[in-house]
Amino acid sequence: MKRSIAAVLGAATALSLVLSGCGGGGDDADETGPLTLSLAGWSLSTTPEFKTLADGFHTANPDITVELKEYDATNYDTQMIADLAAGKAPDVYVQKNLKNFYTYQDGKQLLDVSDIAGSLGANVGGLSAYQVDGKTWAIPYRQDSWVLYYNKALFDKAGVKQPDGSWTWDDYAAAAKELTTKLKGAGDKALGTYQHTWQSTVQSFALAQTAGASLESGDFSYLKPYYERSLDLQNAGAQVKLGDATTNSLTYQAQFGKQQSAMLVMGSWYMATLRSQQTSGDADKFEWGIAPAPQQTKATTGTAAVPVTFADPTGLGINPKVSDRKAEAAKKFLAYAAGVDAAKSLAGIGITPADSAAVTDTFFQLDGIPQDDLSKFAFATHDTKPENPVGKYTAGLQNVLNDLHTAVLSGATPIDQAITEAQDRAKNEVLSK
Amino acid sequence: MTTMPVARRRRGRVMVRNTVVGLSFLLPNFTGFLLLTLVPVILLFYYAFTDWSVFGGAEWSGLDNFERMLGDSSFWTALTNTLYYAAFHIPLTLAVSLGLAMLLNRRLRGVAFFRTVAFFPYITSIVAIAQVWNMLFSPTYGPINELLRFVGVENPPGWTTSADASMPAVILVGTWRDMGYYMLLFLAGLQTIPGQLYEAAKVDGANAWQRFRAVTLPGLRPTTFFITVLLTIGSFKVFDLILVMTDGGPGQSTLVLSQYIYKKGFEENEFGYASAVSIVLFAICFLVTIVQFLVNKRRSE
Repeated sequence: MKRSIAAVLGAATALSLVLSGCGGGGDDADETGPLTLSLAGWSLSTTPEFKTLADGFHTANPDITVELKEYDATNYDTQMIADLAAGKAPDVYVQKNLKNFYTYQDGKQLLDVSDIAGSLGANVGGLSAYQVDGKTWAIPYRQDSWVLYYNKALFDKAGVKQPDGSWTWDDYAAAAKELTTKLKGAGDKALGTYQHTWQSTVQSFALAQTAGASLESGDFSYLKPYYERSLDLQNAGAQVKLGDATTNSLTYQAQFGKQQSAMLVMGSWYMATLRSQQTSGDADKFEWGIAPAPQQTKATTGTAAVPVTFADPTGLGINPKVSDRKAEAAKKFLAYAAGVDAAKSLAGIGITPADSAAVTDTFFQLDGIPQDDLSKFAFATHDTKPENPVGKYTAGLQNVLNDLHTAVLSGATPIDQAITEAQDRAKNEVLSK
Repeated sequence: MTTMPVARRRRGRVMVRNTVVGLSFLLPNFTGFLLLTLVPVILLFYYAFTDWSVFGGAEWSGLDNFERMLGDSSFWTALTNTLYYAAFHIPLTLAVSLGLAMLLNRRLRGVAFFRTVAFFPYITSIVAIAQVWNMLFSPTYGPINELLRFVGVENPPGWTTSADASMPAVILVGTWRDMGYYMLLFLAGLQTIPGQLYEAAKVDGANAWQRFRAVTLPGLRPTTFFITVLLTIGSFKVFDLILVMTDGGPGQSTLVLSQYIYKKGFEENEFGYASAVSIVLFAICFLVTIVQFLVNKRRSE
């Protein structure tokens, strides 16, 4: 009996020691010798870019090893914020998009990396998004941009003229309707286009392409023509309704890849996915291409102009809690990731690097990537505005606008009323803080 | 004369020893509760009076968060929706699970099978439930609307994609999921009612409805009370089902308090304000439970 009490107390003490002792990590104080940096990433098995960067950097700097720490893709920012607050975050972490950049920067969770920014080439896209108060807080290594994907086989089957880079949204809507009708006539069930369920598919184009539009103005009237066009396409049956897409958990990969729609407006990241899915059989094999995203007016169409589109850059930031020596190594890593060598390795796995113009040739050497001139133009030429302009109110405003998105496209609220409601909510709940 | 204090001392030592042993058995559970529930809950009461965005310190802001709540229309929408959900989900689930329990409390061939079937929804993953029901509810291609059109309803509701029908749809699925669990509790309660009472009532000429009113319901009162408390708290805290089924939409038509807390806290990093809303939710659950306790006490006297 006595021994068992001792055992229980011993176990309890051990437990409390374990529980209280889980703080205090070791900091390597060595001033020389090999060094290990930790880097945050998500879905490592299907997202090879982190390993590509880590391996490439290690080859160039054998003394420094970059170790990956995996996070959940959908809850990345929530988990990262918790880890940073607990002081357990990796040395270098990714800015997955710009929605939470303000939280990190304003919360003093990023090291000033202006010195690296100054040494980068002028072609690195997305850098300005990370600049606050004249300083740079993260370095982009990847800059996607939204383009128009189209299925050449379905266009030919319907006998509709393929995109030539001159399209405005009205041309796009007309083509979607024509495709739907003619494909039906040819006995094909595919629809003209597919618009995915995200609010960005409507709102971010409106924000990027409308002169003077801004989230923080609290004036959302710029959204109206874009929603009217989407509703028109939904009602005409030229694209799946939002309600059907959400209730049936439709994926854009299956809608376009399985030839359920002849067009798809999506980010450039989908090129690598489509290519590998066509190889693996998850997508049908058909000829496709990309064209610049449709424009608001004729002024920015045609291959002589620069089409306006959107997408957030993906960047790397440094945890300010790292030692000076690690900070030096981490800055080296950031400079490498934004440089031309890394850009080429990224392009080699189908990723759009921040310096995309420098790697167009490398990218289009990949098997299964379309070879036409318009696709190359769309890949290399764009004026890419941020999806989430950096600011204190961005996260709150985007949540208000997401409610507008589901209310309007489900048909629950007319667009004018929804805009008025969203403006009132923005003013009272977000901008008044 | 001298034996008494020795015996008492020995008894005292036994008591101390027993207490220590008892506490050490409690310790693993209690440590978890202390670290993961009690401490965070106490901290919550502090954060509710601060302005805190995770990073850096929480700044004391007094009653600011609660004042802001008064003028926050989204908060009121969430509160109304939560009350709407609770007002229908609680009685509906009570009625359905009691009905099921009565049905399955008789000698019936394959009764174990039917009991298992009724319990299945409760042990199924909520994400799977939401996905499947969403497909069933799909406005254009879903089987439910196909059926409605087949029987002659010209404009079947849009269910989870319409502002008016989304809440009923969620309540329906919530009831369907919970009924098996509460049925089991009701079954246990029914089995504690002595059979003689029913026989006596029968001899007195009571029909089935009278037996239900005079024997079953009073016999089940402790169970019903317990279930009502659980159901009420569960309904006010509903989160997972709505998050995966409608994500509060379309618009804000199914936005409930717990989801609003999640949005403000984890999406917009306003942990102070989210904590304040949590306290309101806590207070509502607390008040409703106290009222139920009082009512139950008066009835049992």
